[in-house]
Amino acid sequence: MADDDIVIEGASKHFASFVALRSIELRIGRGQFVLLAGANGAGKSTLLRLLAGISRPSSGRVLIAGQDPQRYAEARASIGLLSHHTLLYDDLSANENLTFFARLYALPDAAQRVEEALEQVGLTEQRHRRLRGFSRGMRQRLALARATLHRPTILLLDEPFTGLDQLACDALNERLRTLKTADCTCVMVTHRLQEAAELADRLVVLGKGRICHDEAWSGSPQALIDTCAPFLGAPR
Amino acid sequence: MSFWQRTLAILRKDLIAEWRTKERLSPMAFFSLLVLLVFNFSFELGGAALHEIGPGVLWSAFVFASLLGLSRSFADERENHSLDALLMAPGDRGAIYLGKMLGNLVSLLFIEVICLPFFALFFNLSPGFFLLPLLGVFVLGSACLSAAGTLFAAMSSTMRLRELLLPLLLLPMILPALISCVEATGLVLSNRFDANLFSHLKMLAVYAIVFVSLSLMLFEYAVEE
Amino acid sequence: MNAHNPLAKVLPALTFTAMLLALGAAFLYAPTESVMGDTQRIFYFHVPAAITAFICFFLVFLGSAQYLRTRQARWDRLALCSAELGVLFGLIVLVSGPLWAKPIWGVYWRWEPRLTSMLITFAIYVAYLMVRQHGANAGQAPRLAAVLGIVAFANVPLVYYSVDLWAADQQLHPQRNVGLQPEMRYALWMCFIAHFLLLALLLLRRLDLARAEEAVEKLRQRALAKADY
Repeated sequence: MADDDIVIEGASKHFASFVALRSIELRIGRGQFVLLAGANGAGKSTLLRLLAGISRPSSGRVLIAGQDPQRYAEARASIGLLSHHTLLYDDLSANENLTFFARLYALPDAAQRVEEALEQVGLTEQRHRRLRGFSRGMRQRLALARATLHRPTILLLDEPFTGLDQLACDALNERLRTLKTADCTCVMVTHRLQEAAELADRLVVLGKGRICHDEAWSGSPQALIDTCAPFLGAPR
Repeated sequence: MSFWQRTLAILRKDLIAEWRTKERLSPMAFFSLLVLLVFNFSFELGGAALHEIGPGVLWSAFVFASLLGLSRSFADERENHSLDALLMAPGDRGAIYLGKMLGNLVSLLFIEVICLPFFALFFNLSPGFFLLPLLGVFVLGSACLSAAGTLFAAMSSTMRLRELLLPLLLLPMILPALISCVEATGLVLSNRFDANLFSHLKMLAVYAIVFVSLSLMLFEYAVEE
Repeated sequence: MNAHNPLAKVLPALTFTAMLLALGAAFLYAPTESVMGDTQRIFYFHVPAAITAFICFFLVFLGSAQYLRTRQARWDRLALCSAELGVLFGLIVLVSGPLWAKPIWGVYWRWEPRLTSMLITFAIYVAYLMVRQHGANAGQAPRLAAVLGIVAFANVPLVYYSVDLWAADQQLHPQRNVGLQPEMRYALWMCFIAHFLLLALLLLRRLDLARAEEAVEKLRQRALAKADY
């Protein structure tokens, strides 16, 4: 299909003799919200890093909007990444952080976008404070603003809920739902199945570097937990 | 052009963060002064020995200080994994290298300018015309140090024994440039502006150009996974 | 090097013969040099070892560049094994040089351009090996080493140029083609052949070993993965 946003063709990733991913085949259409589940070490993060163009597949290929993100800058410009690491600089203020990334993406209306983004995550008042004084929740909000500043059409989410309290979780959830309705393609890795169940419309489970389960999803949180349980190993 | 825009954005970001915390600048400056002090006692310097050993002492101080700074130059990017964000930004990744390299160059020059009066004081050097050409040698030499140093710092930042390996990598590789730095500084200090000095400056320029262009090509491979 | 490979059977015998011939040529066939005497015979090992070392360094460069292009493990193995042998032959140069220098220059070591350059180059490749050994975790080692292998090779001419500049007045190295009698030249050629064959033999054996190491590591990983179930 030509209108698939993300195409992974036989992608493998080795770290020396350790095989993290084995010939993954995956197509994700525009606007899908994919939940990527799997036990620790199943290769979820590695797959996400391949999609982000940070890591290159040992064999096979990854195409974002028809282009290899490793080689084509335009393909990279359409991807955003929100991870449990903030990817921000603690010695810069919120405003400086966003302005820096606006420059990095050569955004035309930088000042205005930064303004809007701060507004959206409710950090306008703290805009000139350095991140060292920010709480985990504030940082994650700013990280979200950073990840969506260039209005990506593909958003990658790597454990975005880690370290957030319930209030912050709900806010993030709300924001992701908005993005979903705006036809943004999302791929989320998370252990918080509770939150994910309401967002995801497709479930992909990885195990030992292979895709071992792939289905369209529209069930309840409990159903999701039950579906994933056999792949995630014994309950802790 | 967006390559330069991104290079300058990274340079600016690094300089702002550095100026705010001074967590690299102040240890580097103090360390280079300490090296001057240590050499003074190890060699019984001053007076006659100046032209013989002075330039070597000065550049040893700069190299050691730069090692200190370089080993921390990717620490900010590691702290919150922001290097990932830099790598995801569109455009040639060489801009990341160049921005970081220029940042290191500016910090190093800053240290050198601070060090120079103390060097002059400790080694009884009276100020004069030589200061201007000396600054030229500093710029070229520091360009060499940061050109090679930034590439190796990027590489070693992902290694297990990074603090240990950076000097092992940088010191032998930087030797050709270091030789010319010391020689050129010696010639300037003894007021000999001849063809020999010119050859050494040329050597430094060639070294810097070779390492910057190599690094621009190879940086992508040094940081990807 | 496969055991069924005809090269595998012939090469050791060939190398052994060539080395015997080289010894004979250097010590018996070649005439004694008029000024330096028997000391000069070191040169039959010193010079070929130096050239062989540089061939190794070139192979490191080749393996590194090809690895970055193709990402095939065999190029990385070539780079690693060549670097080890380059350091080995470099060591022969650095030991035989001073042995020759003591009777001729009166001291073991002089900061003479060629010797200094060789020492710096040697240090660069020792650093390369150290990074491979201790620095990188297994997944990233080949990639980082490849970058280093390319930079190191590009640095070699800079080292030579700069050291020449530094010690232009110290140039004491015997220059090329000065008064070599024909017999001396033949002996030198024989020594070159012996060194190149030795390099080929050692390199092929070392590559075999590297392949075996990788196979063992792969088996170990598979066993570990099985144990997880």
